[in-house]
Amino acid sequence: MANVLWLQGGACSGNTISFLNAEEPTLVDLITDFGINILWHPSLGLELGDDLQQLLQDCVSGKIPVDILVFEGTVVNAPKGSGEWNRFAGRPMKDWLADLSKVAAFVVAVGDCATYGGIPAMEPNPSESVGLQFLKRKEGGSLGTDYRSQAGLPVINIPGCPAHPDWISQILVAVATGRVGDITLDEFHRPETFFRSFTQTGCTRNMHFSYKASTQDFGQRTGCLFYDMGCRGPMTHSSCNRILWNRVSSKTRAGMPCLGCTEPEFPFHDLKPGTVFKTQTVMGVPKELPPGINKKDYALLTVVAKDTSPSWASDDFFTV
Amino acid sequence: MAVQKLEISPVGRVEGDLDVRVDIEDGYVVNAWTKAELFRGFEVILRGKDPQAGLIVTPRICGICGASHLSCASWALDTAWGTEVPRNAILARNLGQLVETIQSHPRHFYALYAIDLTNKKYKNSPFYEEACKRFSAFTGTSYEIAITTSAKPVELYALFGGQWPHSSYMVPGGVMCAPTLTDVTRGWGIMEYFRTNWLEPVWLGCSLERYEQIQTYEDFLEWLDESPNHANSDLGFYWRMGLDIGLDKYGAGPGKYLTWGYLPHEDKYQKPTIEGRNAAVIMKGGVYDSFTDTHQMVDHTFTRENTSHAWYEEGTADVHPFDRTTVPKEINTGDYEGKYSWSTAVSHKDLGRMEVGSLARQLVAGGKHGESWQHYDGLVLDMFKKMGGPSIHLREFARMHESVKLYREVERCLREFKLNDPWYIKPTEKDGRGWGGTEASRGALCHWVEVEGGKIKNYQVIAPTTWNVGPRDGNHTRGPIEDALIGIPIEDPTNPVEVGHVARSFDSCLVCTVHAHDAKTGKELARFRTN
Ligand code: SF4
Ligand code: SF4
Repeated sequence: MANVLWLQGGACSGNTISFLNAEEPTLVDLITDFGINILWHPSLGLELGDDLQQLLQDCVSGKIPVDILVFEGTVVNAPKGSGEWNRFAGRPMKDWLADLSKVAAFVVAVGDCATYGGIPAMEPNPSESVGLQFLKRKEGGSLGTDYRSQAGLPVINIPGCPAHPDWISQILVAVATGRVGDITLDEFHRPETFFRSFTQTGCTRNMHFSYKASTQDFGQRTGCLFYDMGCRGPMTHSSCNRILWNRVSSKTRAGMPCLGCTEPEFPFHDLKPGTVFKTQTVMGVPKELPPGINKKDYALLTVVAKDTSPSWASDDFFTV
Repeated sequence: MAVQKLEISPVGRVEGDLDVRVDIEDGYVVNAWTKAELFRGFEVILRGKDPQAGLIVTPRICGICGASHLSCASWALDTAWGTEVPRNAILARNLGQLVETIQSHPRHFYALYAIDLTNKKYKNSPFYEEACKRFSAFTGTSYEIAITTSAKPVELYALFGGQWPHSSYMVPGGVMCAPTLTDVTRGWGIMEYFRTNWLEPVWLGCSLERYEQIQTYEDFLEWLDESPNHANSDLGFYWRMGLDIGLDKYGAGPGKYLTWGYLPHEDKYQKPTIEGRNAAVIMKGGVYDSFTDTHQMVDHTFTRENTSHAWYEEGTADVHPFDRTTVPKEINTGDYEGKYSWSTAVSHKDLGRMEVGSLARQLVAGGKHGESWQHYDGLVLDMFKKMGGPSIHLREFARMHESVKLYREVERCLREFKLNDPWYIKPTEKDGRGWGGTEASRGALCHWVEVEGGKIKNYQVIAPTTWNVGPRDGNHTRGPIEDALIGIPIEDPTNPVEVGHVARSFDSCLVCTVHAHDAKTGKELARFRTN
């Protein structure tokens, strides 16, 4: 049995709510079939007030073992590093995190906020938010670069705004069933099984990408969203088009450009005027190309792709 | 007997972290304070950004009602830019909001609220054993099926928006998607599954058609007695147990109610303006004053915020959100005589503090004001009058009562789509002021946006919980939840389940509230950061 303690810092609850959508296995399956015991969770836990404070103290003192500490939301440091702008159970949440991370066998950060600081840490970051071990691309975060949990691992980061429920539940099961050794982490501590391939992998608009057929505007059933609409699918590590959302779709399948929410730079360009849902270009060429492609080859590819583009590439492809 | 002070940090099982202090005398609460203890300053972040940044940022204010934020953000820009929105897009936006709420209600009821019926306080109730069987966390028979089945409606959201939560598929001028017949048919199938696996058999114990015949309190009681299926459905069981343990006896609140109205009609709101909105929404807006038993229309210009008891330094006057000059107070120690929450006190200019949420929506739905074609439903208002006013029990009933009506609206949207018609009309970006209102599942939500020089000059949000969980205002009037806590019994101060009932019956959502406050300038904040 694995004790899971789930806390929220500067959070929107989006990862929790996403997690409730898990189906294989469901939240309830995790508890009844996979030996997970939720010690406490802000939306699901039974204890309140003093009882919860006691439970947390017992975790800190080691009386109750914390096998997995899940953290959702940013670590709020305002004002001036004190963390008083996010108090929880009588003290700054960042102090609870500091104490609990020392005793937890594993620490899992769910969602962009806990991973990289997310939207709250966007300029000008009024809450002085950071992630557990990163602030955007920069290592360190709240726990520091050298932090290792009792089991000897850094924080396992499951980014995404929000994280996909299956990414969360599968990592919890892997840890609870002693299979964490099968998981490799990348430079941002992301499990490679979910974050090695790109959002584009499995996107139904892929053929349009190849033929450089662009979606001209929203509300269209055809074309690729990379050339004009700012889609970050080719540059973003995620499995959104392989492990579909809510079992049925993904942003790009539904015609929404990928925002690159699993990468540390999200939201890109700090949402400066002119950058939202618009591809940034220099003389008609996208400023950012898929990794591994250089500008010269890209120009060549463009000519060939345009020349070979079949007539259907600009038709209403997924027709009524 | 001495007054006993009870500090509860956190209350738990409300969305976000709520702290409450209650003073107890002779077993009853004689004074109460609600505190929101998180500040993130979303509106600071939005300042100076792309006009459309709100579409990406504001759904992340709250992962629970992201579709409602997205909807407000889109309608606000629509009014600022003077767009035209095709009818397919209006339906597609409404659909997103509808399924979000249909998902939210059962999750609130089972995951946050009904668990408390298994509290040891109720062990002598004849309903206790059955309540434990059904409602226990994770293992209860109804808990499991409700949590799992409530993931279904948002699959329909994903077919239109790609994912739920946190899609930004609504944009000024329409929506990003152009669904096909397959999507519509799958969506229909998903909702049928939800209806035939949970809504009818588990919740109602009857068909939607039978439930829809209930028009008055008497009809409801008759329905309850009509068949064991009705009495033993989760609704029937909850109703009977709630009365047995006295949930109809406390948790009243301020007795005045507000809803902005929602679900713009696909033929009546294609050229959206702030002024034209009231007459164009299907679920009508309004204010209900239970003391005078009168309904009246709403207008966003009535909204006032007061920060006398909130951690901001901006005077004691009531201001309209467009005029907020919010400056967070750096040292936020709790002072119950002074400032003690990040939430502000919101009120109606003439009528004062208001409760928002499902109960408010249903009491307004029973009003005869508004357009003839707008939604009317007198059941909850009738119950309200015959049961002697508001209570935890009625608030919870009003919430779950909505599920059936909203389900019907989903069906209507799916029928009304004309798949070969447009989904988006490209607008021209321009400067201006906009307002977007809606109803999140937990109540009245609105965004105010001001675009100047092609970027956001000011972005303001008032979330439902800001109304409900707000602290005292400039006149020392308590906020609605504070008010609802007054007079409630506390049987055992070491097990204050009654406080939890009241707070949870409002379905309060602190994450929304505490994000919705801003600081005057980035400079002020930088000062706090660097010193
Ligand atoms: S829409 Fe985006 S993810 Fe899909 S093929 Fe185009 S660039 Fe890739
Ligand atoms: S498609 Fe892109 S923006 Fe959407 S969830 Fe996946 S990685 Fe995030």
